[in-house]
Amino acid sequence: MSYKVTEENNISTVYLDGEIDMDVTEKAKEVIMPLIEAKKEVHLNLKDVQYMDSSGISVLIESHQKATELGTKVTLKEISKSVLKVIMMAKLEQILNLD
Amino acid sequence: MSQSQIINLDEKRDFEVNSSNLKHVRSFCREVFEKLNIKQDLKDELVLAIAEAAQNIVKHAYNNEETEDKMEIKISVSNGQLEIGFFDKGRPVEKDKIRHRKIDDIKPGGLGTFFIQQIMDAVVFKEGEKPWINHLILSKNLNN
Repeated sequence: MSYKVTEENNISTVYLDGEIDMDVTEKAKEVIMPLIEAKKEVHLNLKDVQYMDSSGISVLIESHQKATELGTKVTLKEISKSVLKVIMMAKLEQILNLD
Repeated sequence: MSQSQIINLDEKRDFEVNSSNLKHVRSFCREVFEKLNIKQDLKDELVLAIAEAAQNIVKHAYNNEETEDKMEIKISVSNGQLEIGFFDKGRPVEKDKIRHRKIDDIKPGGLGTFFIQQIMDAVVFKEGEKPWINHLILSKNLNN
C-alpha cells in the first residue's frame, strides 16, 4: 500500500493505493488517525485500492467512529468496485459516508 | 455454468505464517482461479474468503506471534465442487468460540468469519492429522 495526502480548504484527502490487508492496516491508521485527531475533515480516496479485506474495513469503521466522536467527518471518495463490494458485504453502505 | 466447463484441479502451497505473506496467499489463489472458467466476481470473493481464513490462522492460531511454522493451503476442484483446505500447527481451534460479530453491532473486527460464511457454502473445522493441529475446510459448489 502506498499513499499521498493533500490539503485543500481545511479538508485532508488521503489517496490510498494498492491492497489493504492486515499487513498494512497499522500504516493506514498511522496516516489517517492523526488527521482525525486534529479534527480535520478527512476524505479517503479509494479509487486505486484494488483489494480490501476485513482488516481494511475495520480501519474504515474505526476512522468513521473516531471522527464522529470528535465532531468531524470521514468521507469515502471514488470507491473502487472491489472495495464497494466488500463494504456492501459488510452492510456498511448506510453507516459509512460514501460519496 | 455447467460443470463440464470447470476443470478439475488439485494444487497446494506452503506459506510462512505471518501477515506479510497474505499477499502471497492471494497471488497463489488468483493464479489457481485463473485456470477456472468462473466469473471474475466469484474469483474475487473466493480470494477474499481464503485470505480471511489465512488471516485468522495468523491472528488466532498464532496470536500474530513470530513463528517459523508454515501453513499449507490446498485448493481442489472436482466435478465443479471446490474444496479449500487449510492446515496449520498453531493453537487448536476452539470451534465453539468461533463466531462473527453481530452484523448490526458496528465496530472494528469480527468481520472475517462473516465474509467467509457469506461466500462459502460450508465451513468445517477438523482436527489436523499429524503433523498438523488444525484443518479447516471451505467448500463451494461452482456449478450453481
